Amino acid sequence: MSSKNKTENVAYNELAIRYNLSVVEYVRTSMAALSGCTAGLLGLTGLYGAAFYIFAVTSLWLMVLFKAGFKTWKNYFISRKGLLTNGFFGHLFTYILCWTFIYGMVHVY
Amino acid sequence: MSGGIFYRILVIVGFVSLFHSAYSAAQHRSYLRLNELDFLGLPLDISIQAIFSLYLIVYGVLQVSGKFKEIKASAELDNKSWGTFRNIPSFYTFSHRGKAFSQFYQPPTTKSHLEEVE
Repeated sequence: MSSKNKTENVAYNELAIRYNLSVVEYVRTSMAALSGCTAGLLGLTGLYGAAFYIFAVTSLWLMVLFKAGFKTWKNYFISRKGLLTNGFFGHLFTYILCWTFIYGMVHVY
Repeated sequence: MSGGIFYRILVIVGFVSLFHSAYSAAQHRSYLRLNELDFLGLPLDISIQAIFSLYLIVYGVLQVSGKFKEIKASAELDNKSWGTFRNIPSFYTFSHRGKAFSQFYQPPTTKSHLEEVE
């Protein structure tokens, strides 16, 4: 159930870590799909879309930190940098899928 | 869970708003096509509505998705006392033989009485 971390000598509850990461994963997946839809809706093309993705990921990261509390996030996550970068490219494909689909729906047809 | 319902409604409202802005954008596009104008970007109100509803949905989803748990292994045990761990219900003794030393103790007389007590 609990694993020992040698460097900090703090015992973590692995189940809780996994649960928190799965919550964040769920939110990030829906965020990737929805921000893709919004980017397509706005008619972004090329690098503007990529910039919008980075903007959306960063703002979601801030929102997650806000939910965990800017001072108390250490109670819920081990690293907040990992929270920002985990699955960045994996969700990029979801984003591009929704982006191109909604762009086609709104702006092409 | 009244808060949960509130955030669910927030998500639904966000979706409706996002769909509405998409429909507005499509209409703007067809307006441009009919008037043979060039596309220079969406009107500002549609963009603002789209981004606002995106944030509305993401915030709602974040609240609906559940609370974070404390990752410290001792988090659940912090507000329990030491006595809680010493409490082992399986080893409770309700019928100790020491009660035979009591001066008010009346020993069972018949075998059927013994079975009744048990």
